[in-house]
Amino acid sequence: MTNHWIDIRNSDYILAMGSNPVKNHPISYKWITKAVENGGTLISVDPCFTATSNKAQIYAPLRSGTDIAFLGGMIKYILDNDLYFKEYVRDYTNAAFLVDPGFKLPGDGDGVFSGLEGIKTEEGYVDAKYDKTTWAYQKDEKGIIKKDKTFKDPHCVYQLLKKHYSRYTPEKVSDITGTPPDKLLAVYSAYAKSGAPDKSGTVLYAMGWTQHTVGVQNIRAMSIIQLLLGNMGMPGGGVNAMRGESNVQGSTDHGLLFHILPGYLKTPRAAQQTFADYNAAYTPKSNDPLSANWWSNYPKYSASILRAFYGPKLSLDESYRYLPKLDTGPDYSWLTVFDQMYQDKFKGFFAWGQNPACSGANSNKTRHAMGKLEWLVNVNLFDNETASFWKGPDMDPAKIKTEVFLLPCAASFEKEGSISNSGRWMQWRYKAASPPGQALPDGDIVNELMSRVKTLYQTQKGVFPDPILKLSWDYGPKNAAGQVKHIEPHLVAREINGYFLEDTTIKDKVYKRGTLVPNFTMLSDTGATSSGNWLYCGSYNEEGNMAERRQKDDPSGIGLYANWAWSWPLNRRILYNRAAVDVNGKPWAPRKRVIEWQAETWKGDVPDGGWPPLAAAGKGRYPFIMQVEGHGSLFGPGMADGPFPEHYEPFESPLGANPLSPQFINPVLVRFDRISPSKNVNRRATNNSGFPIVCTTYRVTEHWQTGVMTRWQPWLAEMEPGLFVEISTELAELKNIRNGEKIMVHSARGSLEAIAMVTVRWQPFTVAGKTVHQVGMPYHYGWSTTAGRKYGAKDKKPEVFTFGDSANLITPNIGDPNTMIPESKAFMVDIVKKA
Amino acid sequence: MERMTLVIDVAKCTGCRSCQVACKNWNQLKGEQTENRGSHENPPDLSANTWNRVVFVESRDANGKIDMTFISDRCRHCEDPPCLEIGQSVPGAVVQDDSGAVIFGKKTREMDFDDLTSNCPYDIPRKNEATGRISKCTMCNDRVSNGLQPACVKACPSGALQFGPRQEMLRFASGRIEALGGDANLYPGEEHNVLWVLPESSRKYPLAQAPTGWKNYRVA
Ligand code: SF4
Ligand code: SF4
Ligand code: SF4
Repeated sequence: MTNHWIDIRNSDYILAMGSNPVKNHPISYKWITKAVENGGTLISVDPCFTATSNKAQIYAPLRSGTDIAFLGGMIKYILDNDLYFKEYVRDYTNAAFLVDPGFKLPGDGDGVFSGLEGIKTEEGYVDAKYDKTTWAYQKDEKGIIKKDKTFKDPHCVYQLLKKHYSRYTPEKVSDITGTPPDKLLAVYSAYAKSGAPDKSGTVLYAMGWTQHTVGVQNIRAMSIIQLLLGNMGMPGGGVNAMRGESNVQGSTDHGLLFHILPGYLKTPRAAQQTFADYNAAYTPKSNDPLSANWWSNYPKYSASILRAFYGPKLSLDESYRYLPKLDTGPDYSWLTVFDQMYQDKFKGFFAWGQNPACSGANSNKTRHAMGKLEWLVNVNLFDNETASFWKGPDMDPAKIKTEVFLLPCAASFEKEGSISNSGRWMQWRYKAASPPGQALPDGDIVNELMSRVKTLYQTQKGVFPDPILKLSWDYGPKNAAGQVKHIEPHLVAREINGYFLEDTTIKDKVYKRGTLVPNFTMLSDTGATSSGNWLYCGSYNEEGNMAERRQKDDPSGIGLYANWAWSWPLNRRILYNRAAVDVNGKPWAPRKRVIEWQAETWKGDVPDGGWPPLAAAGKGRYPFIMQVEGHGSLFGPGMADGPFPEHYEPFESPLGANPLSPQFINPVLVRFDRISPSKNVNRRATNNSGFPIVCTTYRVTEHWQTGVMTRWQPWLAEMEPGLFVEISTELAELKNIRNGEKIMVHSARGSLEAIAMVTVRWQPFTVAGKTVHQVGMPYHYGWSTTAGRKYGAKDKKPEVFTFGDSANLITPNIGDPNTMIPESKAFMVDIVKKA
Repeated sequence: MERMTLVIDVAKCTGCRSCQVACKNWNQLKGEQTENRGSHENPPDLSANTWNRVVFVESRDANGKIDMTFISDRCRHCEDPPCLEIGQSVPGAVVQDDSGAVIFGKKTREMDFDDLTSNCPYDIPRKNEATGRISKCTMCNDRVSNGLQPACVKACPSGALQFGPRQEMLRFASGRIEALGGDANLYPGEEHNVLWVLPESSRKYPLAQAPTGWKNYRVA
């Protein structure tokens, strides 16, 4: 989230789209209620009438996978009716930037942007890639971007934006989304009111936006709207991802994904052989003196993380040499990893705190891929479909050679540490109970593993032992052999914050070697400081562990609660808050002030940099400090699939053509269905009469993720005991299905047995002149807690059995080209009554 | 202890069922083997192990307007409870404490279940076939007498469940009825210590109507 949970209460217009906060983020509704009580409007846009729609003042349905069309129509509405926030857009966004005259929009030609190179088929381009030369800005002789603040130049971003979305007329949008035009206008006109300077609108989204082949562009489309309406940086504004796990924000911040190190530093690539090459590749340059270009500090953060990894004794160059490097080219995302595993390219696999047999798209493939491993380690609280994959449905244990280890671990309540919530608040938690039996906290399992791997390297050498042998590992009391006995979470938290490694004088103050660094502005690129994650520098300082703070006072009056826990970065509660004030530092919305420039200093929240406001000649800075050029990106050339979001049909669509252009689906997808030899398991059925119904997946309040924790909990299992498919009364009639009957759901990849829930909350859509039905199902189930499976003498049985298997058995393994998140929210199925 | 009342503000309920789980957790009631019957509502009925159950109602009117309503169903803790009267046959089996909570004790084992249940206008008492004990919501008298809120109230994230001194709660309920306007009403009536603020006529919901004559009411 750019903002935080409590801040929702400051909103005047709340758009819940790609999410169902009432059901899936119940506490968010508490703050939504407060906003509505203060006169705010809740708007729900969802394929199904959800519990959120039920509480909303405005509801509009849309077909899954058409959010860009819907939002593109809103952009057109805002521009056509001149409802955008003029000064904000002019001064704080890149609307005035001039783009290369060679740049072409999809509407200029065949539905793609200029620079696409790929294979042309009857569906448009496939296996394509963009050469982004024409997506660049025009620069003057000083290397500063040329701007036209009157927005008259046809090459300025504003004009391009306007031209691009001129194609998204209400009629066209309705034709694509199936949303009745009056509902479109109801949403557009309400939300556009948040463009008034003293009003703000927020968007609450979740996996309903991300899990698409255009996932990132869905969010980009909304970011454009938020910039046009001046909602970024505002209390009650922002772009707010409601995360699906209590600590997924923290785990992402700390480098969970393959392409990032902690603090969103990049994972080195093989081509970057030296530390200098690496820093040069990722340290952006701006010639504009008014741009803070925060990432120009990259070398300080990368040097500090190397120090955290390898300590002060090695040179930075040597430490860098020890970091694993990714090959240049391939991605190492989930879908690719499992494709490689399926092709027998892996020996072993750690499935840590996860259940890929149910959580991965196209789970049949995932399950069979695991059968090709020599060994598999699953670290989990309960037995699950991954640890026991070899005895699952369609598996012949006699033929599976994989040796599986299930390591029991402590639950969150059974260990101490921090979690970072969606609002970036790092909150410390204490241990409530000891873990049962042999279960250990994850950190202690890692420690044990590390110690044994190290011993192996010490005794048997190996090809490249130094990266392991020289790794610093001072996380707890040591035994006689020098091995850490158990991990002390406070030492980890302190290392994340970082230390001065030499006596250092900053602004006449001396910081002794070994003291904690007060904040990341003091980190050094020469190796004089360590910091395991620069974003968290300041979270644990000489005054103590900031995450443990529990003061309930709120001097801000807008719910910042600055002394409750700690928020990255620097305890800033609202990101981009310099955009919430005018060029003189006065709040756009004085009644909900986040920061204000008074008597030569900033009052309120920690500002996005301490420089004076933009109007201060030469001293001010543009507000979007993380962008190289300091401006909010209406034009986003960093994307793999286009600088503006464009509607493409989902990978599997009910239509034969994209109603908007000759380009059917996103042209730059990584198509596993086109890659041999695993092609046959990556099946696709689009515009196929065998699979005529759109399907989406979602969650229920009662279960969590693949259900490993909740399916074993009898009070939760009894409430949602099994896999269901929600279908409209119209479709039920067509298919002769009665409520509560067993049905089969088939996709090109698999089949599932489920209970039909016939409901008025789903309704058919009229799309491109035809009736399109959609159904939806939860993904939480799995065979291991069912009554029908075989239980061995020693197998634990759940107190309440659940019914059905994972919805991912039928989802497609196709990913967004920017993130490779799979498209679990829009794919094609058929349903039939079970014989 | 003064008379206490629990108000269920149905318009605010999101159907999250925290109250249903909190009740089982506090009272250590077993989970039941259920199945999806074409509804999110489960378990299908109150039981010796389910004292509080969220009922799901959904509808689409002639204009296509869809509505979802969630109602927590449990003992009404009648002011003058018919179950207490029939309970006199076994002293100590049914008691009402100062707070107004009507509590079924261990001695309900000695009672005739049919007698007891047929005297409840709202079909609340349930028998544990294994132990013979009859049970229902206790209004968390074990928590309330120790200064705590009922478990379900504590767990409710939406503000739909409110608990406090009777007069305060009556004022709260009438304030909410006024705010909601239209057909909003108090169910089943003031002579109960658990009160529902219903946005529409109680006949629109699957709720037993309050009897006109109190005594010896038999559920049809
Ligand atoms: S609702 Fe039934 S069980 Fe509860 S107090 Fe009234 S009569 Fe007794
Ligand atoms: S008051 Fe106590 S016993 Fe009654 S429903 Fe609530 S939690 Fe259950
Ligand atoms: S906890 Fe509150 S909001 Fe949730 S179902 Fe119960 S009464 Fe409704």
